[in-house]
Amino acid sequence: MDLIVQLLIDSVLLGGLYALMSIGLSLGFGVTRIINFAHGEFVMFGAYGAFWLLALYGVDPLLSLPLLVVAGYLAGWVLFKATIEKVLNAPHLNQILLTFGIALALEHVAVVLWTGDVRSASPAYAVATFVFGDVFVVQGRLIAFAVAVLLVAGLLCWLTWAENGRAVRAIAQNRDAATLMGIDPARMYALSFAINSGLGVASGAIVSFLFNITPFMGFPVLLKAIAVVILGGLGSIPGTVAGGFILAFAETAIAYYVPDGAGWTEGIAFALIVAILIVRPRGIAGQSLA
Amino acid sequence: MNLSAASWVLAGAAATGVAAFGSPLAADINFRICGLVIVAVSWNLMAGAGLISLGHSAFWGLGAYVAILSANRLGIPLAWSLIPAMLCGAAIAAALALITGRLRGIYFAISTLAMSEGLRVVAVMLPAVTGGSTGLYLDTRLAAGNRLINLGAAGGAVAAALIAWALTRSRYHFALRAMRDNETAAQMLGIEPIRFRVGIMALCGAMASYAGGLGVWHNGYLDPGVAFDLQTTIDAQIAPILGGIYSLPGPAIGAVATVGLGELTRLLLGKYTGASLLVFGILLVVVILALPKGIYSIIRRDGPRRRVRAADPVGDGVRP
Repeated sequence: MDLIVQLLIDSVLLGGLYALMSIGLSLGFGVTRIINFAHGEFVMFGAYGAFWLLALYGVDPLLSLPLLVVAGYLAGWVLFKATIEKVLNAPHLNQILLTFGIALALEHVAVVLWTGDVRSASPAYAVATFVFGDVFVVQGRLIAFAVAVLLVAGLLCWLTWAENGRAVRAIAQNRDAATLMGIDPARMYALSFAINSGLGVASGAIVSFLFNITPFMGFPVLLKAIAVVILGGLGSIPGTVAGGFILAFAETAIAYYVPDGAGWTEGIAFALIVAILIVRPRGIAGQSLA
Repeated sequence: MNLSAASWVLAGAAATGVAAFGSPLAADINFRICGLVIVAVSWNLMAGAGLISLGHSAFWGLGAYVAILSANRLGIPLAWSLIPAMLCGAAIAAALALITGRLRGIYFAISTLAMSEGLRVVAVMLPAVTGGSTGLYLDTRLAAGNRLINLGAAGGAVAAALIAWALTRSRYHFALRAMRDNETAAQMLGIEPIRFRVGIMALCGAMASYAGGLGVWHNGYLDPGVAFDLQTTIDAQIAPILGGIYSLPGPAIGAVATVGLGELTRLLLGKYTGASLLVFGILLVVVILALPKGIYSIIRRDGPRRRVRAADPVGDGVRP
């Protein structure tokens, strides 16, 4: 029980990161009803972007973050217009396989460009630690948490008060009614997808100094993001944030208290997905599945 | 007999012939094509019922593990070890069908993805049973001859095609088709979705597990990464999509095209690691956007974007 404080701190810090990783996906789904299986690849490219900017030009990941977010936003917009827009009304199968194919292609662009070697961005704060009595707080994680909180809060404010944000929410609630109100659905879809990729790139940039970077990191990230989004309920951003903390808590608790727990944490996300889908498919706060 | 049936017989004969008498290289490629046909047909059947599987490697890997464990632990030879593999594949598929209940579309797809990744984690975390990450080697005393394994694959591919064909001739396929279009409406017509889901998934799970069992006998080695490889899932999807989804010859055409493309990229681009999967990813995107009904739609001369009408049969039925 003396580990409980450390456990709570670690899960909160991790939860913020998971929340950031997943809100983009949640927003994209809520608006376009398409799960973007390429989401993990945006995170991966964000991580690589931050890494290369640090390794080649010495730019700190926190400084390169805004630049990367803008690049991710634009890339997402272009990708949407080029491919995903065409399957908005196609059968589920086509949508799923299209984003799957995009994910596969993006992952292997990275493999071809940068090989499968494992890399890690290492600014000074990546491993430095604050120590409060018995409790260790890794500086890098704290900074990542702070950035995540800022971005998530920013998104929530944008959705609540900005014109475009409210338009996006309107489209998510009822596309036809929103169109009658003069909102252009095509623009809103592209916008939400672009924000999805921008936020994905942002979480990638933060992750660059926390975890190892490989071209294959996108897939596990995607699965965790899906778990968080399903847990919180597809279409609900606050639900997703809550889901991120719940998943983080579950993973950290298992890692601490179950022998060999660190290996099982990979499986927590999947067990949670299946459990939620059986018990309450709409998640904590999501829309109904009709 | 008509052209379509003749071409089927020819393909089956070719597969069996190459398996029995071909050179090692030809037999190896034939094995891969036949293995992929089995998995692709099983994916296609599930998709035909509206059940999109993003975790087909789960059945493949489970079949492989059951086959290698029953061989190593119980000394069972090739043919007999495939039976528990198929039974386990069917069982877990049925269990998944029961667990996911009424889930459709994207939610079902996600649960299949969760299952395959979950199985992989379980395989890594139980080294006492599965050998963990170090993997298992097939007991060399039990190694079966290559001819036998290749024939098993060719026979399996022929059987898979026959099963798919038999389904299109039965009333089952109407029920599945109705479920694919609109499960709620199908229910109102008296079709109990759970029954058909469990049935078709058990069948497809068994088929994919058969392919996995054969795969492990062919390779002689298994670890969680190989067993639950994402590549298996991707191939299982690309082959039917490329060949012609929901159609009878689609998976077979697609399997040949996929293996052929894989070999081609390996020859041309092999020195760039990751290039072949990059090609597959781009191919998947292009096919979905430009040729959603696959190569078979070109062969039928209906055009790539023929609008699907309500009276379309699931399989080829009796049309030439």
